[in-house]
Amino acid sequence: MTDRVFAGLRCRDAADLAAGFVLGALEPAEMDTVRAHLAACPEPHQEFAELGSVVPALLASVPPVEPRAALRDRVLAAAREDTVRVMPLARAASPAIAEPSRIEERTRRWSLERVFGLRQPVWATLGVAAVVAIVVLGASNLQLRSERDQLAAYEHAVALVTNAATDPATQLAVLAAPAIDSPTAGLAAVSTSGGSIQLAVRGLAPTTGSQVYEAWYIPTGGAPLPIDGFRVGSTGTGTISGSWSAPAGTVAGGIVAITLEPAAGATAPTLPILASGTAS
Amino acid sequence: MNELGAAVPGASKPDGDDPDRDLLARVANGELDALEGLYERYRTMAYSIALRITAEQTLAEDVVQEAFLGAWRNAARYVAGRGSVKTWLLSIVHHRAIDAIRRRRPTSELPETDTSSAQPEALTLPDIWAAVAEGLDRVAIADALAAISSVQREAIELAYFGGLTQVEISDRLGLPLGTVKSRMRLGLLALRRVLTGAGVGAEEDEPVTSQ
Repeated sequence: MTDRVFAGLRCRDAADLAAGFVLGALEPAEMDTVRAHLAACPEPHQEFAELGSVVPALLASVPPVEPRAALRDRVLAAAREDTVRVMPLARAASPAIAEPSRIEERTRRWSLERVFGLRQPVWATLGVAAVVAIVVLGASNLQLRSERDQLAAYEHAVALVTNAATDPATQLAVLAAPAIDSPTAGLAAVSTSGGSIQLAVRGLAPTTGSQVYEAWYIPTGGAPLPIDGFRVGSTGTGTISGSWSAPAGTVAGGIVAITLEPAAGATAPTLPILASGTAS
Repeated sequence: MNELGAAVPGASKPDGDDPDRDLLARVANGELDALEGLYERYRTMAYSIALRITAEQTLAEDVVQEAFLGAWRNAARYVAGRGSVKTWLLSIVHHRAIDAIRRRRPTSELPETDTSSAQPEALTLPDIWAAVAEGLDRVAIADALAAISSVQREAIELAYFGGLTQVEISDRLGLPLGTVKSRMRLGLLALRRVLTGAGVGAEEDEPVTSQ
């Protein structure tokens, strides 16, 4: 066990927290710190897998109790409603996103529908009225125009990511939030040769004051490297399109992560990680 | 990125040929009948876990509904190799149930960081682990639990089914935090030894403890 530090936590301290972590019994901030350490640390940290392997048995130890038959209908009705509520709106609003068939074979396995979840599209983060106004009537005031521009930039960034991903020299990272119900999701394409980065994220809270969201690249076994910052407006969408080079030989398997920083120019990420994904 | 799941012997199953994964792939594709299939397979376990944690029928039903809705929305995020679909699904149920009882507790008992109710619905994606004894039935597992030291079992159950943190357990039992931590660790290791057929073993001594 080394004494290296990732996410502000030494390996031996992470190991000490393993039992509490696998049982979900650490304080919330500690849970986040351990998770960030594991994501960044090259050590195998076998103690987590060893202790964690017992947890499914705890789940299986509970004596069986049948639920009422009506629960089945409730569950299925909730899922059906979840689909019906947002699908038509998404289709009407964005044919480009609603038709995965346009996307090259390489990215199809990520299927935009699955990555961005048509059941929870970018439009769902806006008020329905705002969406209808943008799509049907056109934006007539400044705020709506601004939202329309942000959404257009976002759609453009998604297209850039998916185009870039068809290049074999590009690593694609599907960004997801640690929170299962979080609307935050995104895509990033990191070029291994051309030195470019394309990133699109949705479902973020608007930035205020000097706040910026920062995208990080965490090479396997290395410290997080800042990629670029971006601000987010009322649509909750953010994009990066520019030049950036991953350190030589570190791209495959590195992690792209998003954090919220108090100001631009951060050199180390401020936890928690809002969304992350492995570049592959 | 650590491949934690790969470290456990016999944990990873070959791809294909897993009806649960096929179902989940179809759920990710938005197929409602696949969700129904998943519900039929795991409704009893899901509800039992929710009821064990919440001890309340209505809340347990809400938890199961939210958990399956979570699976419906996030099926594409399931990562094979980090545990079975069953563990993934039941971990979501567990997580939801723990969230529900933590929200229900008086504010004074909540961990400090939870008191800002900015995103009360946020649910951490469960960290799932490949099971040490995937094939064992409930009775065998219950026997294994009964075989470990009762104070270790108490610490594990207060955390995993009671939703208490180590600090809260330390307060409640009037024990040093270090004792709670070592009971959890030694209890999990003992349980692992029993489940793998190695017996409870000798590593049960509790250190007189430091923080």
